[in-house]
Amino acid sequence: MSRRKPTPFACVLLVLGAGSAAAAAPAAAPAPIAIVIHGGAGVIEPSKMTPEREASYRAGLSAALDAGYEVLDRGGTSLDAVIAAVRRMEDDPQFNAGRGAVLNQDGDAELDAAIMDGAGPRAGAVAGVRHVKNPIELARLVMDKSPHVLLVDDGAEDFALEQGVVLVPRGYFRTAPREHELDEARRAEAARAKAQPTTRLGLTEGAGSMGTVGAVALDRTGNLAAATSTGGLTNKHRGRVGDTPLIGAGTYANNESCAVSGTGQGEYYIRQVVAYDVCALVNYRRMTLAQAVHEVVQVKLRRSGGEGGVIALDRGGNIAMDFNSVGMFRGARDSRGRREIAMYRETGH
Amino acid sequence: MYAIAIHGGAGAVPRAKLSPERERAYRTGLEAALDGGYALLERGGSSLDAVATAVRLLEDHPSFNAGHGAALTRDGAAELDAAIMDGRQMRAGAVASVRHVRNPIDLARRVMEKSRHVLLVGAGAEEFALEEHFILVPNQYFRTAERLGQLESEQRGERVSDLVPPVSQGTVGAVALDASGNLAAATSTGGMTNKRPGRVGDSPIIGAGTYAKNGVCAVSATGHGEYFIRAVAAHHVCSAVEYRGLTLAQAVHELLHGILRRLGGDGGLIAIDQAGGIVMDFSTEGMFRGARDAAGRREIAIY
Repeated sequence: MSRRKPTPFACVLLVLGAGSAAAAAPAAAPAPIAIVIHGGAGVIEPSKMTPEREASYRAGLSAALDAGYEVLDRGGTSLDAVIAAVRRMEDDPQFNAGRGAVLNQDGDAELDAAIMDGAGPRAGAVAGVRHVKNPIELARLVMDKSPHVLLVDDGAEDFALEQGVVLVPRGYFRTAPREHELDEARRAEAARAKAQPTTRLGLTEGAGSMGTVGAVALDRTGNLAAATSTGGLTNKHRGRVGDTPLIGAGTYANNESCAVSGTGQGEYYIRQVVAYDVCALVNYRRMTLAQAVHEVVQVKLRRSGGEGGVIALDRGGNIAMDFNSVGMFRGARDSRGRREIAMYRETGH
Repeated sequence: MYAIAIHGGAGAVPRAKLSPERERAYRTGLEAALDGGYALLERGGSSLDAVATAVRLLEDHPSFNAGHGAALTRDGAAELDAAIMDGRQMRAGAVASVRHVRNPIDLARRVMEKSRHVLLVGAGAEEFALEEHFILVPNQYFRTAERLGQLESEQRGERVSDLVPPVSQGTVGAVALDASGNLAAATSTGGMTNKRPGRVGDSPIIGAGTYAKNGVCAVSATGHGEYFIRAVAAHHVCSAVEYRGLTLAQAVHELLHGILRRLGGDGGLIAIDQAGGIVMDFSTEGMFRGARDAAGRREIAIY
């Protein structure tokens, strides 16, 4: 008896301890929330990066990451979070989307964007728009307010006007650095055409050619979303559409598998249906998210010669960011305390 | 083994409304396209040439919703989309929203072969056509009295909801396997009657309405394009075959009668595998279709 006496007391303590832990559980370990963003792959060679530019890119990525995370933290939806993050980068002239997008052969920004809601799944996208300040918001209007998924060109801008979107002049998007890049690309193209007169439509590879922006997020209710926005390629042919606004290629989200946003040489992403392929490997091959992303980026894309990267997120809050280019501007933040901004492989942590 | 399958759209004409004359016109058009594509395969031609030829013949035939006789937008214009994919090299070309290109499938092929891009849209695609010495045609070339009539009746009728996509009217497409074992797919469409200008459906989107990968399958779809885009339909079929080991028929059935049904979308698709096995399935009342192979199969069917 005497030996068992302390036992009830210890039990009570244990129960109390367990009880308080159980009561605290919803606050201490709620459903995970997470957001991952990218600001383009292979944008700048590490050797050409100055400390000032690096600080500026990091600040831009941080602002976008935190803007999206705050939405999730307040209990907002993953759709609102990816929009908040992408809109920030569209408004930031150093990224190739919205203001500061690269210029096409006519000297205009021609913008593409897509959003996908993993619940449903539903999607909206626009391509070839030239007067819409935030193409990602127009993509969302296509999803929410039209029966369609993809609207292009003047028809997309007509829809924007019907929805009360205020259009901006083309000059809004143009910045001095992008005009300089266009001049350089035109000179390089002319030199190439002289050397090799048969190829006229070059896939211009140069600074800024892969600076697409994107975000994927998971909200408290377990919904995934993905969003991507871009100006495409410097000196691109008018009307050229890359993978960004194509559901399954540059953008995909499905609550049954994962959410993906890509950045890179769009033509390869279209042919390989990259974003959907990541989710198909997760769903059908039972790969982990990291394995699927590795398979697509480091094996399949590499084999075909496609350069770029992807960010991806699943319902468990697992994050994957991978690229086969010199770097990928990226950031990730979740409710487990992870918060990081990285650019190159060696600086990732 | 070599084989080709074609479609002229799903859910276009209710059985009760198809007169014997119209049925004959559709059958004649399908036969010409099927045999045109097959003749190339028989001569040792490539699957790429075969699908392009079959689709071009369907584009030129006014009964089908592609090229001449395409459905009209709410502004009364034809706005055409097309895509082609070569399963051997996984190359692809596509155009969307073109208004002056007689055979959009030819322009899609040119995008694949002469540009480093996959998709060109709108005026930029036509600029490329001019650079490639295509002769553009007035938009009127595509317009037929029948399509104008359909547009008028659509515009008179009340739409149930602005958020429900109207029923599509019969995209065309072809898939083929050639004697060298190469797969190819091609699709062309005018989209839906009374559509908003600039609306692009699944046809020109690689992975949605059109896909081909050697060793796996080639697919061309027709139906409620928005649902096919969300489901990444054509790639879904091929990844179900490649990753899960489903038969082509199982993969197509799961997509049309499982996934798309759940999403609320109807339509059909044709698919061919590396052995020349052909699947033609639909969730609508009918789908204009045809199949022919080196083993002696030759069929045209509607319902």
